[in-house]
Amino acid sequence: MLNIQTRQSGSASVVSIQGKVNFEVTAQLRDVIRETVATAQPKLLAINLEGVSFIDSSGLGLLVAARNSVDKSGGKLHLCCLPATVKKSFDQTNLTNYFSIFATEQDALRGA
Amino acid sequence: MAKGTVLVVDDEAPIRDILSFYLKRAGYQVLTAGDGLEALEEMGRSRPDLIISDLRMPGMTGDELCKRVKSEAATRDIYFIILSTLDGTASRIGGLSLGADDMIPKPFHAQEVLAKVDSSFRLIEMQNEIKRQNRELTTFQTRVREEMELAAALQMGLLPKLPGKAPGSRYTHRYLPAAGIGGDIYSVLPLPDGCTALMIADVSGHGVTAALISAMVKTSFENQVRLGGDPLAWAYGMNEDLCRSTLPEQFATAWLGHLEPASNCLRYVVAGHCAPLRIVGGTRGGLQRSEVLRGKGFMLGLDGQLPFADYEAEFLPEDRLVLYTDGLVEVEREDRSMLEEAGLRRICAELPGGAEEAADAVITQARAYNHPAQFMDDVTLVILDRNA
Repeated sequence: MLNIQTRQSGSASVVSIQGKVNFEVTAQLRDVIRETVATAQPKLLAINLEGVSFIDSSGLGLLVAARNSVDKSGGKLHLCCLPATVKKSFDQTNLTNYFSIFATEQDALRGA
Repeated sequence: MAKGTVLVVDDEAPIRDILSFYLKRAGYQVLTAGDGLEALEEMGRSRPDLIISDLRMPGMTGDELCKRVKSEAATRDIYFIILSTLDGTASRIGGLSLGADDMIPKPFHAQEVLAKVDSSFRLIEMQNEIKRQNRELTTFQTRVREEMELAAALQMGLLPKLPGKAPGSRYTHRYLPAAGIGGDIYSVLPLPDGCTALMIADVSGHGVTAALISAMVKTSFENQVRLGGDPLAWAYGMNEDLCRSTLPEQFATAWLGHLEPASNCLRYVVAGHCAPLRIVGGTRGGLQRSEVLRGKGFMLGLDGQLPFADYEAEFLPEDRLVLYTDGLVEVEREDRSMLEEAGLRRICAELPGGAEEAADAVITQARAYNHPAQFMDDVTLVILDRNA
């Protein structure tokens, strides 16, 4: 089960994800991110991964696609609060260098 | 054009005549019969859509006729209305339990019969439409299934033929797609200089799209190898190929290797893929030491500008290389834990000497670890053994 929450913080949108991000749930997550970007048109989209217990390659692919679409609309994507297991997946795929990653949500919102 | 064909069965000619008159006037084609046997004869000549039959008749009675009509596959779908003087709930249930679709009590008003026939034809029409749609759906499903089976067979054809032989080494694989068809692929290419090019990849997603991209990955790899160069050059080339020809969320994790038996050197690139295991002296079987061929790298197809890095490892005679996709080690058990790389290393600490037996042992033990959870993702395992 994936739990996704979104909120606005000034001109930024924050998407918080809890659960296991794999192929079965990417469609659900994709819709939320797409809708948030389309309706709020945030200058900054922060994705909080604190509650993510596992992410597979489809999940990573989704985040990459999210970064690309935010880039195209002139915004920025920041990730924050990566648990150790998620960090490992990012390291293995070198995505740690591909994304702007922050330790806390406040840092992610400030680092615009 | 007639609205449909109604067979009126009654031993009383005046009743047949009056029903025929009203039904014909309403646009139906009407057939008549004096009892059940005559009705069956009539049905031999032309098939009605609906039968209105009296219950009590000399010769074959209405209930017998109804039983016959409803027990034959060819006539079962004909709508059957019983006319009966017995106007009581008990006889109604009796008639309907014979398989009749409806009943009209006698005496009746011809208009009432006509209204019932009209509403029955609306039902018949709906039933026919549902049947037609069902047939279409079944045809479609069959076609899709056949195409999937064909695609799965074609995909199996993309995998190297077993038993696999390369210069100075031999290999086998276990390929278990999650949905009959999958996004895993691997390739072993002997090179003219006595070296071997190796590739294993896992395309994001499942099913036909992933399978199609996996075929592209294989073609791209083979093209790059043909151009010469090393795994680093292959990774850059394949990344460009995939960026050009796939959608943003479609990419592949891959491990690319170049084995030079003369120098015992394995040069490789990790593109977001699970790091393979080298089992030192693994082909001798028994207790063995494994090492993880670590490396970092982006997945292929993310971004054409991304840099890759290559690594080197020793790979000696009698060593064993274990390549795999994440489906093997990422099954969540009931206690939410997964086999992961560490678990695979535990399994690989003691494997049989033969590659086939070793491959079976890895799959069996991974399954046993996950039990009762099943493999959910495509699973590919390749075991490559260096000759002595």
